[in-house]
Amino acid sequence: MNNQIKKIDKLKKFFTYAILIFFALINIYPIFWMVMNSFKTESQISINSFSLPKSLIFSNYTKAWNAVSLGNSFMNSFIVAGISVLITVSIGSLAAYFISRFEFPGKKLIYSFFIFGLLVPIHGTLVPIFILMRNIGLVNTRVSLILPYVAFNLPLTIFILSSFMKSLPKAVEEAAIVDGAGYLRIFWSIILPMSRPALATVGILNFVYNWNEFSFALVLINDNDLMTLPLSLSLFSGQFSTDYGMQMAGLSMALIPIIAIYLLMEDQLVKGMSAGAVKG
Amino acid sequence: MIYQVLNISLDYYYCIKKLGGNKVINKRNSLIILIVLIVGILFTSSVMAQETVELEMWHAWTGQDAFASEVLLPKIEEFQENNPNIKLKIQVIPNDSYRTKLRTQAAGGQIPDIMQTYPGSEVQPLVEAGLLMDLEGIIDYWTDDLIPRDSLSAYTFNDKVYAIPAKVNYTHFAFYNKDMLEEAGYTEWPETYDEFKVMADALKENDIVPISLGNKAKWVLQSIYISTIGDRLTGIDYLEDVLAGERKFTDPAFIQALDVIKELADKEYFNKDANSLNDMEMRQAFYQKRAAMFFGGAWDIGGVIETAKEEDMNVGIATFPQIEGEVAPKALSGVTGSAFSIRSGLSEAQKEAAIKFLKFFYSEETYVDLLRTGSFVPAKVALPDDISPQFKDVINLVNEHQIGPVYDAVLPINLIQTINNGLQSLTAGEITSEELAQEMQDNL
Amino acid sequence: MEHIYKHKKKLIYLGILPAFLLYLGFVIVPIFISARYSLVEWNGFSPPAFVGLENYAEMFGNNVFWRSLKNNMVVVLASVLGQVPIGFLLALLVNQKIKGRHFFRTIIFMPVVISAVIISLVWSMVYNYNFGLLNNILNFVGLESWVQNWLSNPDIAMFSVAAVIIWQFVGLYFIIFLAALQTVPDEILEAAKIDGAQGWKRTLYITIPLVKDSILASIVLCISGSLKTFALIYVMTNGGPSHATEVMAIHMYDNTFNGMKFGYGSAVSIFIVIFGIVLVTIVRKIFAKFED
Repeated sequence: MNNQIKKIDKLKKFFTYAILIFFALINIYPIFWMVMNSFKTESQISINSFSLPKSLIFSNYTKAWNAVSLGNSFMNSFIVAGISVLITVSIGSLAAYFISRFEFPGKKLIYSFFIFGLLVPIHGTLVPIFILMRNIGLVNTRVSLILPYVAFNLPLTIFILSSFMKSLPKAVEEAAIVDGAGYLRIFWSIILPMSRPALATVGILNFVYNWNEFSFALVLINDNDLMTLPLSLSLFSGQFSTDYGMQMAGLSMALIPIIAIYLLMEDQLVKGMSAGAVKG
Repeated sequence: MIYQVLNISLDYYYCIKKLGGNKVINKRNSLIILIVLIVGILFTSSVMAQETVELEMWHAWTGQDAFASEVLLPKIEEFQENNPNIKLKIQVIPNDSYRTKLRTQAAGGQIPDIMQTYPGSEVQPLVEAGLLMDLEGIIDYWTDDLIPRDSLSAYTFNDKVYAIPAKVNYTHFAFYNKDMLEEAGYTEWPETYDEFKVMADALKENDIVPISLGNKAKWVLQSIYISTIGDRLTGIDYLEDVLAGERKFTDPAFIQALDVIKELADKEYFNKDANSLNDMEMRQAFYQKRAAMFFGGAWDIGGVIETAKEEDMNVGIATFPQIEGEVAPKALSGVTGSAFSIRSGLSEAQKEAAIKFLKFFYSEETYVDLLRTGSFVPAKVALPDDISPQFKDVINLVNEHQIGPVYDAVLPINLIQTINNGLQSLTAGEITSEELAQEMQDNL
Repeated sequence: MEHIYKHKKKLIYLGILPAFLLYLGFVIVPIFISARYSLVEWNGFSPPAFVGLENYAEMFGNNVFWRSLKNNMVVVLASVLGQVPIGFLLALLVNQKIKGRHFFRTIIFMPVVISAVIISLVWSMVYNYNFGLLNNILNFVGLESWVQNWLSNPDIAMFSVAAVIIWQFVGLYFIIFLAALQTVPDEILEAAKIDGAQGWKRTLYITIPLVKDSILASIVLCISGSLKTFALIYVMTNGGPSHATEVMAIHMYDNTFNGMKFGYGSAVSIFIVIFGIVLVTIVRKIFAKFED
């Protein structure tokens, strides 16, 4: 009997690893391809983009960094994406808390109202938002990006957080109420920490979306100093030809902060709830 | 103004009086000091009143292409150095995103003071909405000697010119691998279309793709192929006539042009996945010697010459062979580009500055420099001595031809979309030439 | 106790207010402005002209539009049937105590982050008819008859592209489910094991019901994301060949920014939103039924 169980376990393990490794390979390849080509010269790339570089050329990186002041763009992207994420997650988690764990008139309406935003295609709002920003006088500022980024990420944030918070047992709150804690206190000291995995999830998703966002940045930013990363990277394409080497180098560099942020958040992703809170 | 000057002078005077004490400031000295102060302030403020003029400028020259990095961008910098009181606030927007940004901001009522515009139906809506300043007042600067007025037709509406172009982009050249053609038994580029077909068949026999085509972006078959082939068979006034209602798209000449492209596809002279490859992949197939030729535009010339040298390839440059029934056998499609337009409604100072820029930027010197980078120009300038021999050959080739319209520089936007999508469908075998011609006529 | 409830209501509305205001101002208002544009004919430069519902009539009479709607449904189905189950499966696998969990967790999520430009360049080469990886493998294992013109054949292009979309976003649902699985307390899983429920049985009857909300959330996200999908397809095929991969967002973008028909484009945007509302409502109703 034991042998059979062991065999099944081994088979399970084998399949698990097989599937995971398969996915890992096909997921890694594009990144590998991109980095590999960033070390090749332009003609090497146009001859055969699958071949390994004959020798490691670093000029693409230095050229890319200087040609479009990547350092500046990195900073702009960090500021815009970072601040947007902080704002979105704070007001989003607050709203999600009340929506998911309380009953009040208009709750369903408000929830649907937010979910509605998931369906809005952003290109349909490019012109309206530009006009809006122009009327407020915010065009060509970082704030003009932060506002739509926060607004458009709220539906997703509230959606994920509220569905997560809804599933937390009532027990945790009740104990605190008996102790005389106010709702904000409960939110801050109990619900938020327990929601760490979901907070990490929305944190990552928000950051990724903001970091890669292109269309609003294109239309709202006019100053070279304020350009975010995607805008700067797009400058590697000319009308008739694209500098693929620099583009690969730029994109490779742009990937690093995301991977870093992901690794940072990912830890939180799997910090489970402490058993104690549940038992109570 | 006088009041302000007097005010400031008096302030300074009292300061000096306080510092110097009453011994220095006696009656005679006071007068001198006051006069010196007033004159000094008038002088400095008049120098400062040669105010800085600010112009917001947009262009799409990201510096990837030689003509931009070697000629146009340095020229802008030179202008800024020579004119410290004209401040250019420059926005560089890559070509692909340029239209989106311009249209979005224009829809929001905001366009730059001086901007790069694209010819034909791209700039026409701007003209019709009264957003651009016509250049009739200063156009003689160019049309007197430098650029024939005909060459400005892509930017001329109602007999008024709205932009000055820097280049002429010929959109049709055949780049072929001489060695591969030789192996199939052809030491020279075929003169007639029939000969071409025989040669293509021979190439197919040897398992070589005759023509590499990357039409994912849709404009390739239109700008590069149908523009020249169409011009040849229909004559170069055809599109104008159709738009004026004097001729139709359903005319047999145009259908014959579509048939040529259909034939190339049906006979499998193109690679099978033509509609999903981009231009980089199109050239790649040629460089990797999997295809004997590809058709491209003037923008490919520099890259081809350079890569051919690196890869030790024997590359020839030609144009489409003569097709039976041609009305304009020497037609070669080309369109002017890299042009700046000025926004209407500028202040006098801004207008002056913008015009100054145009005259400086589009000068004889610029055109000669552009020739050096392998670009064709709309201006009549003498060829510099130091251009590459290969480019000289191409210039001679071009001089044997007569420029004809590029379809997407002349047709209105909805027709451009119809023919772009239509050519993809045509080569995918989804529609016939007659159906496409009829669709074009219907959408007129 | 009364005063607690009074405060409670005020507090609740106040808590939701910041999010509400920002969202109202920068999402809802623009959509209403867009709805206004859908009633005019406008090229963006000259003054707009009111045409009522003409744009919608034109849209519903446009074959290309219907094709784009069909293409969108292909993406929706492929996503819901592909991304959600695969994401869930991967989350289950990685949730176990296996070596290299960190690595796998990061790698599976990576495609979500990679720029559409890279994805399209790489996958275009996988799908390449002549020397692409896919056809090469098929030839190698003797399945030549399966070799296809993956991106150029108008009949199958949409499916080829849908496969890439599935691949790109599996990671998104993966981390959503991973977070959800963390809430399944270990005790319950242990208890189930003792009761004799293991492996698939346990997953099916214990785990899935516990994360039901996340599954519904993922499906709704899937649908909404699929209806809006734009970037990858735009870079990969630009809607071609001849509209074979054109989805509604591309149809809208093409008509607005290339065709300069802002009014028509806005009509398509509004349609996307309304159609999405209908779909999502249906799905939520179905799930509500399951809840009982």
